[in-house]
Amino acid sequence: MKTTYDAIVVGAGPAGSSAALTMARAGLDVALLERGAFPGEKNMFGGVLHRLTALEDVFPDFWELAPWERHIVKKNLTFMTQGSSFSVSFDNEAADTPPYNGYTVYRPKFDNWLAQEAVKAGATLLTRTTVDDVIQEQGRVVGVKLLRDGSELRAPVVIAADGVLSFTAKKAGLRQARFKPDNQGVCVKAMIDMPKEIIDDRFGLVREQGASNEIVGNTAGVRGGTFLYTNYDSLSLGMVLELGSMMGKTTTPYDLLNNFMEQPQIAKLLRGGKLLEYSAHLVPKGGYDAMPELFGDGIMVAGDAAGLCIITGLNLEGINLATQSGVLAGQATIEAHRQRDFSKSALKTYRTLLEESYVLKDLKMYRRTPNMLHNDRIYTQYPELVCGLMDEIYRIDGQPKETMTKLLLRKAKETIGLKNLLADVYSGWRAL
Amino acid sequence: MKINLDEIFDYTSFNIDRDPHIILDETVCQGCDQRACTNCCPARCYTWDEENKKMTFVHDGCLECGTCYVVCQKDAFTRWRYPKGGFGVSFRMT
Repeated sequence: MKTTYDAIVVGAGPAGSSAALTMARAGLDVALLERGAFPGEKNMFGGVLHRLTALEDVFPDFWELAPWERHIVKKNLTFMTQGSSFSVSFDNEAADTPPYNGYTVYRPKFDNWLAQEAVKAGATLLTRTTVDDVIQEQGRVVGVKLLRDGSELRAPVVIAADGVLSFTAKKAGLRQARFKPDNQGVCVKAMIDMPKEIIDDRFGLVREQGASNEIVGNTAGVRGGTFLYTNYDSLSLGMVLELGSMMGKTTTPYDLLNNFMEQPQIAKLLRGGKLLEYSAHLVPKGGYDAMPELFGDGIMVAGDAAGLCIITGLNLEGINLATQSGVLAGQATIEAHRQRDFSKSALKTYRTLLEESYVLKDLKMYRRTPNMLHNDRIYTQYPELVCGLMDEIYRIDGQPKETMTKLLLRKAKETIGLKNLLADVYSGWRAL
Repeated sequence: MKINLDEIFDYTSFNIDRDPHIILDETVCQGCDQRACTNCCPARCYTWDEENKKMTFVHDGCLECGTCYVVCQKDAFTRWRYPKGGFGVSFRMT
């Protein structure tokens, strides 16, 4: 077996395959390593892939080529309690024509497609290949050691795109040994079988239109949120739960998800559905301040491995940032080969490219958001306030009505406290 | 519809390696009063027997998410790595 390459990419997810594709198209000899039996086998996410501008440069007709389920035209935000929910729905005709703003996808299909595109461009895909260690010589990464037989693959550049826990980055000394539980969310998801026509009717969709729904509340006080997405003929229902918030409680992720499925407004949407698959994964939610070192001598870190994730409550971004970072790591490698310099100072190009792109600009802009979301009131009291307000506004019970201002002040005092409310509005304003 | 982890092998596919990818030093767990792994693990791989003060870990239905790796405050793992290539959980559609 060939053991020397121009570059080694660890992980054939969106970041790794984008990097491999970029480098292979420029004529570099690339090994793309994947621990699964096929790319995507180990990968899981909520279900909505945002528009991948980084890939549209390579595939101008991306939506004709990539395997997706539905394109998102309708975005819903819901505040939910155990018995009620208040939603804001944005249905957008402009999102119904290409370039689509987002898609629901199945990762085992999508990731495999992208990896095969890298192969078509000339990359060598090695599946069932778990990396055990990085090889370092004189403080410089020069390859990786494989778990199956301890054999070695060598290249002047290694791109660590091995996902949220990135043992490759850890072994190269780029990430800290311990993760803060507050910076990680566990995502659990149920895939639910449902005929296309029923999904169309229940969610108000036609053709291949899709809907996404982000839900705040009804998580038993755990900091986190729930999502419900429409695939072609299935639904994705899942929760992201902050581990720091789960610790010390007795409830489990699957109990919370089961409880959620029984909430009356959710139960109506899921009625008749059948559980197809249950999955779980971590989400790096610490943002800009929780990122590892992004580059070192002979190594760069991309995608989830680099903690490139933005969670604002309204948007959950990851794969778009991953593909962009993969493309840029690929470009930095191409440049390094041109200069024949793979040192840390040469690979700093990668960080510069990331800073010039929306990736680090957005992560920086939202660097206060993780802290803002570390507020228990968001997950219980605010949904109760919103739903409680609506309940009193609509309620006809033979009692004289209060003015809207009086009602708002009274409810806010009851559920949140005015001081807290002002502090939260201020921190929300600064964070978003 | 309900997620019942007793039936996880009915909905999620695995190719189980006899050689576990995670090895737990259970004696360390006896000195832990937090045991966040028992409620945080989404696959219920960790169970604590209060009567015998014993932690049991089973890797068979592990979803390879890394939750235990993050929440363990005692460094109780003598091994924590991903399964050998081709082994472990196999998502079909998620």
